[in-house]
Amino acid sequence: MNRDLIVNLVIFALLVAVALGAHVAGQGFTVTLATKAAILGLAGVGLNLALGYGGLVSFGHAAFFGIGGYVTGIFASHAANGDPILTLPFTLMGSNEMLGIWPMAMLAAALAALLIGALSLRTSGVYFIMVTLAFAQMIYYFAISWPRYGGEDGLSFYVRNSFPGLNTFDPIQYFAICAGLLALALLFTAVVTQSRFGLALQATRQNEQRSTAVGIRATPVRLTAFVLSAMITALAGALYADLNRFVSPSMFSWHMSGEIMVFVILGGVGRLCGPVAGAAVFILLEHLLGPVSDHWQALLGLMLLAIVLFAPGGLIGLTLKALRRTEHG
Amino acid sequence: MADPILSIRGLKKSFGALTATDDVSLDLFPGEIHALIGPNGAGKSTLIKQIVGEIRPNEGTIRFEGQVIDRLDAAARARLGLARSFQVSSVIPDFTVLQNVMLAVAGADGHVFRFHRPALSDRTLTEPARFHIAHAGLSGREGTRASVLSHGERRKLEIAMALALRPRAFLLDEPMAGMGLEGAKQLTAILSDLRSEAPILLVEHDMDAVFALADRISVLVYGRIIATGSVAEIRANPEVRRSYLGEEA
Ligand SMILES: Nc1ncnc2c1ncn2[C@@H]1O[C@H](COP(=O)(O)OP(=O)(O)OP(=O)(O)O)[C@@H](O)[C@H]1O
Ligand SMILES: [Mg+2]
Repeated sequence: MNRDLIVNLVIFALLVAVALGAHVAGQGFTVTLATKAAILGLAGVGLNLALGYGGLVSFGHAAFFGIGGYVTGIFASHAANGDPILTLPFTLMGSNEMLGIWPMAMLAAALAALLIGALSLRTSGVYFIMVTLAFAQMIYYFAISWPRYGGEDGLSFYVRNSFPGLNTFDPIQYFAICAGLLALALLFTAVVTQSRFGLALQATRQNEQRSTAVGIRATPVRLTAFVLSAMITALAGALYADLNRFVSPSMFSWHMSGEIMVFVILGGVGRLCGPVAGAAVFILLEHLLGPVSDHWQALLGLMLLAIVLFAPGGLIGLTLKALRRTEHG
Repeated sequence: MADPILSIRGLKKSFGALTATDDVSLDLFPGEIHALIGPNGAGKSTLIKQIVGEIRPNEGTIRFEGQVIDRLDAAARARLGLARSFQVSSVIPDFTVLQNVMLAVAGADGHVFRFHRPALSDRTLTEPARFHIAHAGLSGREGTRASVLSHGERRKLEIAMALALRPRAFLLDEPMAGMGLEGAKQLTAILSDLRSEAPILLVEHDMDAVFALADRISVLVYGRIIATGSVAEIRANPEVRRSYLGEEA
């Protein structure tokens, strides 16, 4: 087994161990923290496909996170009050089945990503960052001014959606759902990045001119990665909505986009489990230092700075380097 | 004579006031090495870039195997078999030699949107890739990252990538640049061999290589072709001696 794989497995196993340990010790709150880490890690795994493997610095992934959340909230609230979501062009009823809601959330995000990607991929570098940010901000203001689904106040739904055979209210069972989807997304990313498509995607990141010279157009490859990436992040948004039984426009805010990017950079850009490690450390810091001081984010900022300057491989890169050093004496 | 593989007529390109390509017409015939020589800034690279579709000419037309390709983008032209190497070598730095050539195989067969099967265990990619690596003289280096290759090895990698395109014509921009004497000799032998795969339009400053390899030579000065002919004709041409070869003598 190679070292990368071991590190990835260990990170995932640690997350599961923390949740199980907390469950056995009767600490439901810690289980919920681990669930949050799995969900935010999943959002980062989505972004990592575009950012880490494709070099697409999207500063608008909150748009997809929020879309996933709102689709969940809207379906759940309509399921509660019995009104259809749509009557034209077809009748669409609410639902509280996760298995029905997730595909809808991912489909909605895919359509949004297709549009946003098609326009933003005409630009590159700092303009790409700005265009993706602008789209997310547009959706943010739209959500704020859409009274039907709570506007600024957000939208609560009182019952967590259901999953066949499981009690989603039990923290450890909900964790199992989130960790399961995280594992699937990691597997998906591992497979896709090793495929022909993954080869092309990583080539266009490193040298677009060379890719073109061997007959590969960068834009369709990038757009595909962007859409897949958005779908994964939307799934995380759907899980996040169910975790809190609440969605609000802040899911669309640029802070959220920034946080998702922080998970990726902290953990290691283009490392499979990087975003999971990043999200876990983020939540740990928030939980341990947040109550002590409101300025815990300053410490986070310092950490980020140190990583960007001295360890661009992130926490995973550092770990791998340390392992290599101990192995070689 | 047979029909040309590549046929350029009346090509013009200016950058502001500078005319980098000035009414250039040129043919590349099956089996030949056609060298394009000329002083620095004559417009050789600019001409190559127009042929591969990286930049658009202002006027003129390019036919490739009888088909007008003026409206095709660079990726489409590459898939038709216009294989190019760059003046400054250009590879995917974090990929291994094998992955670089596999990328070219995938680009050439056009099946990039496959998400499932690991590329490294796809024998329709790895087998041709290994074959072309051997052909370019890089056997044994398959697992080496491109960024740590020596300059000469990177040149060979570019040749292997060009071969993987199942080329119908090679466009090589100064493949000998920075190679050293021994490397240049080796590469001359490889290029001489390539001629049997597809004709070569060879931009080169190394006159020993040009005279050893070329069937025909065109001389480009200030964006204009001032002479085309055999090695002997070009060596004897007084205008060429004055404007180009004369500088070296
Ligand atoms: N994109 C561009 N914009 C403006 N001018 C350009 C551009 N590309 C090339 N030129 C100019 O066009 C002329 C021809 O350049 P080109 O690179 O084609 O020369 P070359 O014959 O390949 O030279 P060398 O032997 O040094 O490689 C030069 O004067 C160059 O400065
Ligand atoms: Mg040049």
